[in-house]
Amino acid sequence: MITTILLILVGLVLAPLAGGLLAGIDRRLTAWFQSRQGPPIMQAFYDVAKLFGKQPMASNPWLVLCAWVYLVAAALSCVLFFLQGDLLLIFFVQAIGAVFLVMGAMSVPSPYSQVGAQRELIQVLTYEPLLILVFVSLYLATGSFQVSDILAHETPLLLQLPLMFIVLGYALTIKLRKSPFDFSTSHHGHQELVKGVLTEYSGPYLGIIEIAHWYETVLVLGVCALFWSTNVLMMTLLLAVTYMAEIIIDNTMARMTWRWMLKYVWCIGLGLSVVNLIWLYAKI
Amino acid sequence: MIKSFIKKSRVKSPWIMHFDCGSCNGCDIEVLACLTPMYDVERFGIVNVGNPKHADILLVTGTVNHRNKKVLKNLYDQMPEPKAVIAIGACGTSGGVFREAYNVVGGVDKVIPVDVYVPGCPAKPEAIIDGVVLGLQKFAEKVEAAEQGA
Amino acid sequence: MSTQIILLVLLPFAAGLACYLLRAAFLRSLVVLATAAILTAASVALLSAGPISYSPGPFLGLGWGLIVSVLDFALLGVILFYGFKHGNLLIKIFSVLQMLGLLILELFWVDHSAQVPAFHVDQLSAVMVLIISIVGSLICVFALPYMKEHEEHLHLEASRQPRFFLFLVLFLGAMNGLVMANNILWLYFFFESTTLCSFMLIGHDGTEIAVKNAVRALWMNSAGGLAFVLGMMFTYASVGSLDIQVILASGGAGAGLLVGMGLICLAGFTKAAQVPFQSWLLGAMVAPTPVSALLHSSTMVKAGVYVVLRMAPAYAGSFVSDGVALCGAFTFLACAALAIGQSNGKKILAYSTISNLGLIIACAGINTPAATAAAIFLIIFHAVSKALLFLCVGTIEQRIGSRDIEDMRGLYLRMPQTAWITITGILTMLLPPFGVLMAKWLAIESASGQLVVVTMMALASALTVVYWARWAGTLLAAPGGGRPAPEGLPALIRVPLLALVAGAVLLSVAAPQVYDAVVAPMLPAMPSPIEAFYLYPLFAVLGAGLLLALRAARRSRATAYSAPYMSGANIDMNPDGTWNGPMNQPVGAVAGNYYLPGLFGEERLTTFVNVAAAALIVLMIGGAL
Repeated sequence: MITTILLILVGLVLAPLAGGLLAGIDRRLTAWFQSRQGPPIMQAFYDVAKLFGKQPMASNPWLVLCAWVYLVAAALSCVLFFLQGDLLLIFFVQAIGAVFLVMGAMSVPSPYSQVGAQRELIQVLTYEPLLILVFVSLYLATGSFQVSDILAHETPLLLQLPLMFIVLGYALTIKLRKSPFDFSTSHHGHQELVKGVLTEYSGPYLGIIEIAHWYETVLVLGVCALFWSTNVLMMTLLLAVTYMAEIIIDNTMARMTWRWMLKYVWCIGLGLSVVNLIWLYAKI
Repeated sequence: MIKSFIKKSRVKSPWIMHFDCGSCNGCDIEVLACLTPMYDVERFGIVNVGNPKHADILLVTGTVNHRNKKVLKNLYDQMPEPKAVIAIGACGTSGGVFREAYNVVGGVDKVIPVDVYVPGCPAKPEAIIDGVVLGLQKFAEKVEAAEQGA
Repeated sequence: MSTQIILLVLLPFAAGLACYLLRAAFLRSLVVLATAAILTAASVALLSAGPISYSPGPFLGLGWGLIVSVLDFALLGVILFYGFKHGNLLIKIFSVLQMLGLLILELFWVDHSAQVPAFHVDQLSAVMVLIISIVGSLICVFALPYMKEHEEHLHLEASRQPRFFLFLVLFLGAMNGLVMANNILWLYFFFESTTLCSFMLIGHDGTEIAVKNAVRALWMNSAGGLAFVLGMMFTYASVGSLDIQVILASGGAGAGLLVGMGLICLAGFTKAAQVPFQSWLLGAMVAPTPVSALLHSSTMVKAGVYVVLRMAPAYAGSFVSDGVALCGAFTFLACAALAIGQSNGKKILAYSTISNLGLIIACAGINTPAATAAAIFLIIFHAVSKALLFLCVGTIEQRIGSRDIEDMRGLYLRMPQTAWITITGILTMLLPPFGVLMAKWLAIESASGQLVVVTMMALASALTVVYWARWAGTLLAAPGGGRPAPEGLPALIRVPLLALVAGAVLLSVAAPQVYDAVVAPMLPAMPSPIEAFYLYPLFAVLGAGLLLALRAARRSRATAYSAPYMSGANIDMNPDGTWNGPMNQPVGAVAGNYYLPGLFGEERLTTFVNVAAAALIVLMIGGAL
């Protein structure tokens, strides 16, 4: 019981803090790559705190509703992950947030917001099948969709599922809104002409969405961590290397078009998944 | 405690929006130069956003004319409080050499209230950064005044 | 219990005739409402009965078996007549071949002295009856005011409603008979009755396009009927019984049975409009909305999946089973992709129906207890949500004169009540913790052993999100600031809508009870998959979150208003995004969705999809030989 409450608290409180810190580190490293000094590590928290101090403005009550639902869904999916629930369920709960984010953006007739919403949908379309296949591969390797059972697996899954990890990397890049897949909105402020799907969310509502994004970052990285869950050191190393690779990709790639992304990611992602899944079937 | 953290954060995270009201691009280039590794304003948490709804500080370059004064006003109105406006360059502060032209309204302050004037033709990046820092102080003062008033 | 069974089958037939004969609108409404109430009560009573078999006694000295056989030929005769009337060669060929097959079966093969219970009601049948009777009845009630307005739009001289309600109500009886039939010949009779009813209803408006689409529906379903007859012949040849219970128990009886099952599944595919037979259901949209709602949600297409699911034990573990799973999953994927390319609301619904049926059929093909549970769940939840959505589109169409979702942009301001009901309906199709998604989750989990099937499901599931979310967002895309005007729906339209939306939500809340009451008795003992749903905590947290969000949204009405961002070119604070264009002239902002015709357009995909699906079906049946 106490463990459960602790886990809920970890998911609810520590996860967004970690996500925010990670966002700060990300910006710092990016600045370093660009031979700049970059903002303080705590910058993401300053940003959000400032946003909460702004005057609430909205062109539509739906925006407010959708921002809140996005946050609730993201937090819930993160908590479910720390409670070691069913991966597919976690993913579907997270999808609630994605759908509401899009609905909110679509509720305002600004063309930037509209186009952003459509592009966000295409991003969802691109990463969703990949994530489901990653979960299926975890199931095939461990015999369960439950995070608790996957954690109980004795050998590092990365060795069995190397290609699936790459597939997950694609989904991670899209989910983190990093180049070359950052066309619904970029996580870098200065990289955007307007702000895509987030255009109409402002002040505290943008803050809410930012926090929800931290939850989602932690969630996806958590899924990455499952690939080497046997050893904490290796898990940390894997996450560090993965995130570093994300930042390098982000800094060396240009933003591409959604057509390219849909075709490229589906072809590569599905191809890698099928090959890796066939290995697993062959073993069973 | 949360309140004081928010107050501190305001100063640490000014998101600027840059609007070119009809500048010769001299000042614009200097504004963008602030973002380069040379000056790296992101050190101060400054981010150049493209959307008034996310901005705290509006940087305006160039003279205001009859065509774009509405745009300037709209952008200003779409920024949530607290906010500050910084007029940059000779044109932004007063209309500059175009002041007397038939199509020119004048400086930015003819349309919206300006908090900081950064002179120069073009304004130097250091001066612009200085202006932003001053703008932050101004809106901290404004917030305080509003809180005491309330 | 026998009374209920007779009532459920015969009452709609009688009521349909009454609707046809009693010309007064008031009496017709009374008959429909009374039938709806009685059917609902009878179907609920049937649920608690447990498995029972029943054969009606002789009628006017004639055995029912004989009557059904005669009616079979009469039906085929009527279909043949329409084949001649519309000069359609395919219908003629298919119905003549069916008659021949049936003749051989009836006269030379079947041992008529064998006792075969006519009806057998188990949980699956009871669930189907429940859906047909409740959802179908609600649709019939909705049709009363709808058809009145529909005929006013058309300026008809003589009302054609009596004929319409004859077939609409009769349809429910035929469906009830179909799902309860135990004698496979009876099943075939009801199967063909639904074919004829749907033909009549699709062609009801009598326009050129309506007749054309009705004829297409007829020939495709006749092809299905032929497959059914052939399937019966193969099955009878190898099992030697017409009793479905016996056939199911004889699983693994060899190639003959498998071919028979493959053919019967093929018949189910045509009825469920699986690719490549999807075009008849898409064509059925020309009919008045209650017809599409009835065809898509609770009746016609569910007859198809019912047949496939009913026969599932007979082909479990065989190549046919894998083939069925493949065909279903492929339909799920193909139709979800096709739905993305559509902006016509009814067409999106049609593709989504076919796609969901594909998922159900895939579950039947996977043939594990969990998959069967998922299939039954999907049947239940999909029926309610989809009926709701069809009625919503019908209501919207009558008000705004269009079924294009681009014309529904910002519907929230014009029809707030219908808009939120529609959005809720969409969310119940799409998101957890609602039943459809829970069933989809169960389906994916049980499909994870089959690489191709699960890959297709993953892709289809993502495609589904896109077309639903886009639609829901479009309904909301209203200029802010304004208060929506109250819309004043007629009670007979509002009540079915509210009943269905409440049903869709409450059924999902009660999913564990539904599972225990309905699904569990059908399956060998296994741990309830619902346990893993964390259903109540999920509902509690998400419900609380929604309330919190609603409260915040309500409060935000008091907060400052900010015009949509139009690069500052917006005129004053205009909420609809009108901006200051060239020469200082106002220009309206126009938004549109991505429909990606280059990737998901009908013209682009249909041919490929049909060829691939046909190949899969050949694979499925050929593999059994």
